[in-house]
Amino acid sequence: MMTRLENLAHFAVTVVGKDRPGIVAGATGALYRLGCNIEDSSSTMLGGEFSMILIVGHDKPFTKAKLLEGFKALGEEMGLTVSVRPLSRDESLHRAPEGELCMISVYGSDRPGIVYRVARALADRQVNITDLNTKLIGTEQEPVYVMMLEAAIPEGLSVDDVAMLLDEIKKELNVEISVRSITPVSL
Amino acid sequence: MPAQKILLYPHPVLKKVCHPVTAVDQEIAGLIDDLLDTMHAGPGSVGVAAPQIGVTLRVCVVDVSGSRHGKENNHGQLVMINPEILSCEGGAVMREGCMSVPDYTGDVERSTAITVRFQDGAGVERQLECSGFEAVAIQHEMDHLDGILFLDRIVSLKTGLFRRKNYK
Repeated sequence: MMTRLENLAHFAVTVVGKDRPGIVAGATGALYRLGCNIEDSSSTMLGGEFSMILIVGHDKPFTKAKLLEGFKALGEEMGLTVSVRPLSRDESLHRAPEGELCMISVYGSDRPGIVYRVARALADRQVNITDLNTKLIGTEQEPVYVMMLEAAIPEGLSVDDVAMLLDEIKKELNVEISVRSITPVSL
Repeated sequence: MPAQKILLYPHPVLKKVCHPVTAVDQEIAGLIDDLLDTMHAGPGSVGVAAPQIGVTLRVCVVDVSGSRHGKENNHGQLVMINPEILSCEGGAVMREGCMSVPDYTGDVERSTAITVRFQDGAGVERQLECSGFEAVAIQHEMDHLDGILFLDRIVSLKTGLFRRKNYK
């Protein structure tokens, strides 16, 4: 017997455009008319651009071309850039990241390279970033860069090890870095 | 008594406001046994509320003594009938998961210290001051008695709700 997943085609859809009312209604309306089911999504406004990332499923057969066709009118009307990536069956099977979870907060005077240096150090130790947000706060004269990232620590490494690892970057970049465990409690 | 099946949302019982217990009788004793057995059977479970096993009465059990978050600071196994929070203070965010809402966890702000009054399994009125993880667990279980799930308490979906990753 075919499982539900085997009957479904999955796609990663991204929609980006200048923020205005109606983007979410337009995009989800297009998906609804196509018969797509939104399985996961994250949308936010970044610097005046509204961006949507959606994982959608549709009964097979279904193609990327049909999806793009369904967005054509909306994209032209609202000035949206829409891209679609078909997902293989393996890609659409969600695998939870392994290991203890931590939240890393980084902030300091704005300068290029903060995200890269922290991300590189984590990647070199196989620490997997699962969520990342950055914001520029402070004043125009003295901008402060804030980065919050959630990461899964591989076996053999502890939250303290990660803190120590980032301690050197902290001095080099002259930023504050704190690491805390956020492994969920089961109730 | 065997461990009972944990009801999963969207089971309607999980959104009901439960009735107060008027007498601690045989029926309540049986319910308490079921709740304790169910808590002990759940891997890493630190509490179960009556509606989670389909009973709309204000009874829950909590025991954080076996959890790494609660082992230093707890009152052992608590059976709570008609629990009421008399006062609370402080606030801290913890990422909570619930047996009735599998696969998701969420960042929820709870009071860090509470004074709670309840009747124990023998029907004797008790008053306790709880803090830390024990206070969080009691608040989570008491929410179940009012039909409130942690999903009702998440401040921000953007930063507050997560697909379940792992539990320790």
